[in-house]
Amino acid sequence: MLNNKKIVWLLAVLSAVSMIITACAPQTVTVVQTQVVTVKETQKVEVPVIQTQVVAAKSFTKPHPVLGDAKVRQAIAYCTNRNELIASVYPWLPKEEQGNLFMNTFIPRVHWANEDGADVVKYPFDLAKGQAMLTEAGWTAASPTAIRTNAKKETLSLKFTTTNAAFRQTWAAVFEAQMKKCGVEILRLHTPSGWFFGSTTGLRRRDFELGAYAWVGQTDPAGRTLYSCTQIPVAENDWQGQNYMGWCNKAASDAINAANNTLLKDDRKKFYKIAQVEFAKDMISLPVFQRAEGNAAVKALKNFKPSTTEYYTWNSHEWELDGGRDSLVLGLTQEPASMYSLVESAAVQRVVAKLVFGNATSQVDYDYQPHQLAKLATIESGLAKNNDVEVKEGDPVVDSDGNPTDAKGELLKLAANMKVQNAKGEVVTVKAGDKITMKQLVVTYQWVANKWSDGTPVTKADFELGYKQDCDKKSGAVSFITCNSIQKVDFTSNTEYTVTYKPGFQAPTYFLAPIGYYPSQQVIQSEKFKGKKLGEVPPEAWATLPEIAETPMGTGPYIIKKWDKAKSITLEANPNFYKGAPKIKKLTVVFIADTNQAVAQLLTGAVDALGSETLGAGNEVKLVLDAKDKIQTQIKASGTWEHIDMNLNVP
Amino acid sequence: MFNYLVRRFVQMVIVLFFSAIASYTLMSLAPGGPLSFLAQAQIQINQEEIARIRAFFELDLNLPVRFSRWLIGLPRGPIEIGGQSFFGDLIVGCRMPIEQTVRDVNTGKMWTEVIGCVPGQDVTLNDLKDRRTSNGVAFGDFGTSWVLLRDRPVSLLIESRLPYTLQLMITSLTLAILIGVPIGAYSAVRQYSKFDYFVTVLAFFGSSMPTFFFALLMILVFSLIFKDLGWFWLPTGNAESARDFFIPLLGNVTAGSLLDKVLHMIMPMSVLIMVNVAGWVRFIRGSMLEVLRQDYVRTARAKGLEERVVIIKHALRNALIPFVTLVVFSLPAAFGGAIITETVFNWPGMGRLYFDALGRSDYPVAMAFLLITATLTVIATLISDLLYTVVDPRIRLH
Repeated sequence: MLNNKKIVWLLAVLSAVSMIITACAPQTVTVVQTQVVTVKETQKVEVPVIQTQVVAAKSFTKPHPVLGDAKVRQAIAYCTNRNELIASVYPWLPKEEQGNLFMNTFIPRVHWANEDGADVVKYPFDLAKGQAMLTEAGWTAASPTAIRTNAKKETLSLKFTTTNAAFRQTWAAVFEAQMKKCGVEILRLHTPSGWFFGSTTGLRRRDFELGAYAWVGQTDPAGRTLYSCTQIPVAENDWQGQNYMGWCNKAASDAINAANNTLLKDDRKKFYKIAQVEFAKDMISLPVFQRAEGNAAVKALKNFKPSTTEYYTWNSHEWELDGGRDSLVLGLTQEPASMYSLVESAAVQRVVAKLVFGNATSQVDYDYQPHQLAKLATIESGLAKNNDVEVKEGDPVVDSDGNPTDAKGELLKLAANMKVQNAKGEVVTVKAGDKITMKQLVVTYQWVANKWSDGTPVTKADFELGYKQDCDKKSGAVSFITCNSIQKVDFTSNTEYTVTYKPGFQAPTYFLAPIGYYPSQQVIQSEKFKGKKLGEVPPEAWATLPEIAETPMGTGPYIIKKWDKAKSITLEANPNFYKGAPKIKKLTVVFIADTNQAVAQLLTGAVDALGSETLGAGNEVKLVLDAKDKIQTQIKASGTWEHIDMNLNVP
Repeated sequence: MFNYLVRRFVQMVIVLFFSAIASYTLMSLAPGGPLSFLAQAQIQINQEEIARIRAFFELDLNLPVRFSRWLIGLPRGPIEIGGQSFFGDLIVGCRMPIEQTVRDVNTGKMWTEVIGCVPGQDVTLNDLKDRRTSNGVAFGDFGTSWVLLRDRPVSLLIESRLPYTLQLMITSLTLAILIGVPIGAYSAVRQYSKFDYFVTVLAFFGSSMPTFFFALLMILVFSLIFKDLGWFWLPTGNAESARDFFIPLLGNVTAGSLLDKVLHMIMPMSVLIMVNVAGWVRFIRGSMLEVLRQDYVRTARAKGLEERVVIIKHALRNALIPFVTLVVFSLPAAFGGAIITETVFNWPGMGRLYFDALGRSDYPVAMAFLLITATLTVIATLISDLLYTVVDPRIRLH
């Protein structure tokens, strides 16, 4: 008799033997029936040979045969009826509000750095002008509706690459029709976003002629990675940078670099103006429109103040409900992957993080406001000093591109041939033996006296743990540019620390606290590190801790009480919140992936509020707008803007 | 029978092994991946940082090594025998590959090829010692999630979704069988009757219309319109509500109560029942019509048996033989859930999980789903073959 053990052994041996036999055995074919076939004629089948060419290190140096001509690019801009494109995706939006989505430069019109004056070339829809410019550029048409050709009989045909998102398919189809009226043939290519935004495909390899996608406009306009001459991805620089157009305009490049190396707002405005004027003149990227975004909540919710540059839960501590209710349900389009902010940066995480951690600073309406950081640590406030220091070869510095490391990740030290910004704000190339006077920022960050949700005060040790963890290479963070730019940190009290940055670090957002805090007193309860304090857990293991990933301790207005995976997060008011416990005692965040479903739940009262990340700006918004007797809806021009990049070079 | 089972088991292992290779390779070759977010964010990032992220996702290891670590959790470092290490310097990957971009001269299409490794950036078996490694899916460890539940076990995700999927799928499949089989059989017995025409038209309609159509229609009618009219209405979605709510006729419904859960299940379940019944009614009807024409049915009638006995005992039992396969293959479906229904009704099930995992490049989750589905499919095939011997005595397995 075979007992169980023997059977298991037998099966195991049989499996192994069978796998080996299967792998090694030659294929055997049993011929069941044969038939004689007379071959009457033979045909040679030619296998197509793919001719390939390695893209050289100094690639993308030849101008694009069509888009290399500024006249053609400008003609495309004139031929584009952007109002029609906006109407195609937001038909439910009143005409006036559709107009608010219009953009002339890479900075939204309501932004402090926007320049919309006469110096900026505008491209209002003008079919005749666009056609005339194309003719002038040598592209003519036999009839008004025909596709244009040049003297070599080449047709004016451009590949238009974008993602397959339904929203983009809609406006791209309208764009194609508009171009046809101008005699430009558009070959639309809607690719999966995985390819278009892939690390070795699509945009990163500049594999497009016209490429449509969106950038997210920020409170700080940044822009260096997008428009500086040093940020053009080519094989030579391992495809680093996001200037996918390959645009190198010295005036614009210098201006965008200077704007990102200057601390005073008024000075920065001047530099951004130069960059925007050049951007519009050269027409290397057509800003199509700012996306619309909707936020909606039941009318009973008071102080609901969403902003395009801030997550709508930023002021949850001010929210109140009419009618004696003290619980609120929020709909969220996706479950956060983790509450550990270093490894999860999705908007859905930030929406919940604002509830749990509160705001160090907020970014309402393209500006910064202090909260738990007591003051913005600006030069004007006296908390920051920009000292002149003499730097010699071998001293750690940040280069003129704002990089504290080289492309390989090695920390930079002043060396010959390096480009740095001197104390006068000039970009200079270092010569051997040079001593250069550079600016060095020393900033003191002052925080409010705060308490953790368990009632213990936030201490110096918590800030120290924050610095240690966030700057540890194993912590899970993506970029260490700020950590690498820091020369030293002095933790002076439970509410204050001073950061001395490396010479050359002149980031415009220096006044925002670079270091946060973690509850160093927290004792871990989960199995693997049970009984240890948080600071004793290896940095790489933090992301695995339920105490960090699911129910983190914070200093925000709410405390996570329960996380039902795939369903909801339940939060309760934090009695130790520094501004006092919020009036709404219980918040539930429900995960609702589908927008139709989210809207249906809002209309039936199952949820009370939907932020822009969940409601979006699709046709569902109309349903919410129609229910104005019970729902308050705010439609805003989002910081996210659609644009068509024009690739100026070919490999 | 024992020999047959052993043989089948071995075959199943082989099939699963190759299906795992195929799906793992395809997943690895798919464009996108966990690094694609870097192209969309305005951040400065250097090669070292990219190398670190690649290493975190094991993308710096050669595909067979990555596959082996995923499948059986090996290699974890050099081979250790008697306190001595062997093959520690064996190269198993590269932190910073040297890539070249190649262009098709005729089409202009570009792609990237790896042509080497930056000197000193090879990954050796020694480097694997400090890395966290799963025990391998072959031993039930699906590893950690890349995105959806970042750094935490994939099994946690499955555990959180599976009960909801099973609850929805098993209930709806059972009810669909209980409804579909008698209707299909009766429709066949009463062929060309008004009932038959009605059922046939309805079944065609049910099979033709997409699931989301029924789902959205139900939400519109039974939730939004009924609520506006002040009638009895049903919750639009979720597995349960976040707070108590009021429904005419029923009164106050407590969040999380059995009644709450049942109310939430009615609409998604109804949609799945409708779709399944539509398909199965047509199948049973066709199968039954074929059986009713058989000689043994005529013989049974000639013997003077009651029509009820002829239909149920002689005809229906035989008509159900091919149906067994259909039903058994619902096993992987019961695990896999129903992507569209789950999405529209916001049901926290496995279908949605798989969809999200693919969309957000969480390959460990997607692979776990595929492997479990493949396993259930081969098990279903075996059960189906075994059941044939039960329902059809003429079949013998050797």
